[in-house]
Amino acid sequence: MSDLVLSPTQMEVKRERSAIGSLRLVQTACILVIALVIVSPLFMLLVASLKDDRFQILADMGSFRAFWVSNPTLSNFAEVGNLTGELAYGRYLLNSLFILACTVGAGLIVNSMAGFVLAWGSLRGRALILSLVIALYVIPQESIIMPLVIMVSRAGMTDTFAVQIVPWVASPLYIFLFYQFFAQLPKELFEAAEMDGASVFRIYRSIFLPLSLPALATVSILMGIEAWNQYLWPILVTQTDYARPIAVAIATFFGQDSIYWDRAMAASVLMMIPILALYLAFQRWFVSSFVGSAVKG
Amino acid sequence: MTLQQPALTATAAVARPARRRDKGRLFQEIGMLAPAVVLLTIFLIVPFLLSFWTAMTNQPLVPRPTPVRFIGLTNFLRILKDDLFWTSLWNVSRFTFWILPVQCGLAFATALLLHQKLPFRNFFRGLFFLPAITSMVVVCVIWGTLFQYPTGPLNQVIGFLSGGHIQPIDWLGDPNWAMFSIVLLSAWQAYGFQMIVYLAGLQGIPDELYDAARIDGANAFQRFWHVTMPGLRPTHVFVLVITTIQAFKLYTQVAVLTQGGPKSSTETVVHYMVRTGFEEQKLGLASAVSVILFLIVLVIALLQRQLLRRFDV
Repeated sequence: MSDLVLSPTQMEVKRERSAIGSLRLVQTACILVIALVIVSPLFMLLVASLKDDRFQILADMGSFRAFWVSNPTLSNFAEVGNLTGELAYGRYLLNSLFILACTVGAGLIVNSMAGFVLAWGSLRGRALILSLVIALYVIPQESIIMPLVIMVSRAGMTDTFAVQIVPWVASPLYIFLFYQFFAQLPKELFEAAEMDGASVFRIYRSIFLPLSLPALATVSILMGIEAWNQYLWPILVTQTDYARPIAVAIATFFGQDSIYWDRAMAASVLMMIPILALYLAFQRWFVSSFVGSAVKG
Repeated sequence: MTLQQPALTATAAVARPARRRDKGRLFQEIGMLAPAVVLLTIFLIVPFLLSFWTAMTNQPLVPRPTPVRFIGLTNFLRILKDDLFWTSLWNVSRFTFWILPVQCGLAFATALLLHQKLPFRNFFRGLFFLPAITSMVVVCVIWGTLFQYPTGPLNQVIGFLSGGHIQPIDWLGDPNWAMFSIVLLSAWQAYGFQMIVYLAGLQGIPDELYDAARIDGANAFQRFWHVTMPGLRPTHVFVLVITTIQAFKLYTQVAVLTQGGPKSSTETVVHYMVRTGFEEQKLGLASAVSVILFLIVLVIALLQRQLLRRFDV
């Protein structure tokens, strides 16, 4: 009864509700359009990597067939997944994984120890070192790379794994992130352990490090992505297959007269698998790491 | 939430009462600090200082019998007289001019959308972040096919939407379009990161401010303009500065897809530096470019500090 005759206030509420409803609809539509723009290229990559014929891949690009494969095959992956030979993308992938593991592993230890001493040490000159570390953060990798190439080639380090790992282990940003994390832990933690006669390293190792899981995860993810995506440095210091990372190897597809898109797509999917797997497993961590690096650094 | 640069916060926290020092403890601390200090010195400080020195010599890439000579500021003068250097600087400026509205604008808009209580918003947040974890080389493979001329997906979509009125564009082959094409793929790749930063910024604005504005009779637009925007000021500064610095370091996309072409329309400062150093083998000259790059980044970073100081406290 009263459904039909509405009081002025009820009408207002109803109007507002329907306005909000249609606004929601527009918003959802926008989100879906953005989702399409974001996801369709990635989906296309996956689909194309399952197609056998590189000319067919390009021919399909102009239509909806770009998003459909009628007889999927893993032959491209079999072609590029070798551990030796000309298309040794399996090997390049392992190279990249090895470089990533070493960089992150060593980076966690070196940077967290430094951050800990800067936060809790009694060393004179800590403040000075800390401000120096922060100042160093401004220097972009690109602007030290020229002399660095000379240095490592003089040292005979070109074309090794070490040259792709060691220079990037210590980093002002990650030292600072650890410093910041450790510094906000309560003072009592340190003092109680010190009272019990624990050494500084012991306090770091057995008390502070186990508490710093968020910081360890953040730094692992940021460092890992950085190491995984390195491109400029490895093209300058690797000449042979021996230590070539997969990013550099994929870029070589573009140097050819006619690009083997089928192989390039399969190699790209190979390169995405590990990082995607980690992302799906630790999505929350990934996102908050990037926010952390932005907010703090 | 406050967005802070390290330099603004660090010194305050260090000051703690000096504790009793004994030798063993001191040695341990030095030992724990040493790996980082040694590595940073060898691989960051030394090459950084060296770049200033190398920039003032005629250092070649491959050692020659003739000794390396000190030639003062000659390299800098040569670069400043090189049209290609100015072209590269102009190109990264054009890139910055386009990437800021496209990438940051899109990121801001998406963040505003996802900040609403929409269904599945966490799912979308995770989805939109996917390109940000995709390696730039892989992004180049993907967009290399999207940009195909004349029948690539992008041209097909544009042709379809315009009813066939817009002719296919040679995205990477036309000097007028090449840099904009690089902008498109770069924005696609990196915008998830900016979106996340904006989302964090939006979450940092207390709800009470919105409630108060609502009670005062502010409509949605007024709330956005007088509550959201001022609250996001540090976020805006941070996002704009980071994006600008990234833009000036533009390299991988260009090196993989266009090698600076066509007609130097996508030549960038870093690409110019790498070419001078490794194709022309003039490392002294390339180091001079790297010093200039550092100075540009430094100026932008200092500008950010000034802006944040004005807004933050």
